[in-house]
Amino acid sequence: MLKNAFLMLISLAIAVGGGGASVWYALKIQDGVGAIRIGQWTAFPDIGTPAADPYSKARVAREGVLALGRAEGLSFVAENDAAGDQLKRECTYRIEGGFPTARFWTLYAADQSLGVVETGKSRLAALQSYEVLRQPDNSVIISVGHHPMPGNWLLTDGSGRMYFVLTFYDTPIASSTGLSDVSLPRIVKAGCDA
Amino acid sequence: MRSLRAALRRLLHAILLGLVGAGIVHIIVLLLVPEFSERDAWSRLSLASDLYRMNRLDAEAGGAPVVKSVDPLFYATACRFDLEEGMVRIKAPGNVPFWSVSVYDRSGHNVYSFNDHTATGGKLDAVVLTPAQMIDVRKDLPEDLQGAIFVEAPIDEGIFVIRSFVPDESWKPIVSRFLDQSSCELQDF
Repeated sequence: MLKNAFLMLISLAIAVGGGGASVWYALKIQDGVGAIRIGQWTAFPDIGTPAADPYSKARVAREGVLALGRAEGLSFVAENDAAGDQLKRECTYRIEGGFPTARFWTLYAADQSLGVVETGKSRLAALQSYEVLRQPDNSVIISVGHHPMPGNWLLTDGSGRMYFVLTFYDTPIASSTGLSDVSLPRIVKAGCDA
Repeated sequence: MRSLRAALRRLLHAILLGLVGAGIVHIIVLLLVPEFSERDAWSRLSLASDLYRMNRLDAEAGGAPVVKSVDPLFYATACRFDLEEGMVRIKAPGNVPFWSVSVYDRSGHNVYSFNDHTATGGKLDAVVLTPAQMIDVRKDLPEDLQGAIFVEAPIDEGIFVIRSFVPDESWKPIVSRFLDQSSCELQDF
């Protein structure tokens, strides 16, 4: 009798504990269902829409996100460089290549919660397309690092993991048909502060 | 020996049953999170201000932002509304480089969005209403609503968000003023 109760307790503990923990874990990891990957960049075009999958819906409710609408824009997040290594705040990177059609875009360096990196200076760790210098072929080269660099410079600070968030506003790629043949800039590591 | 094997088999049975149960619990919890979340955008906004009150989402207005407004080169403001009380009208004066607007339902899903290219002359003047209210309005469109954008949304409670681009430092006061002067009102009809 006691043995039966014990076995039942084990079943219940596994069911409740395992079920709860797996939901918590699934909502915590960045890379989820419904993601679109282009190079190192990941976007969730469906997040925050009624058509989203249950995991995205739960994440939206838990984090209080108000996601960008289709007519507003589309955000891409990068967590690795072209070699597949995690982005680090103490390293310098070069972001180079062409950008898809959009009215304008913004790029910023983000921490774990995808908030902008605090630089401690009046210069934000963010750039936008109206202020960048372009190459003759209309591509853009952006240098990312702690120290000033010629050309386009995205200031970062501190150490630890870093993410790049690239958002296109008022863009045809936000409609799903446009996403198939989009190419995004590459992220190349240039070196690290020891 | 035989009793030990029987006990092991029953233990294995219990564990398997537990794993199946974990799958069921996983699905149930996942579907219940949006229902019972007290950290969603609506709940956070309702702690900060009343219905039909514009509330800045960026940290520029002082204090920690209510709802995380992600892009650092953007300012944003939001108001909550309830279409059961009547249709709601949102207006913002002035010219800024870019603004965009989203209507969210109670659980934070984006049901409609548009930007300044959609509006007449780039002026932000929008009315959010239910399909039933739209039928009433269509019958006799009031004079001052003729330039407005009508957003027909099959929702009752919702959130209206205005986002505006701040290209550089010099635009900060202008964009701030644009958002602070925006209004979110119950429209009599």
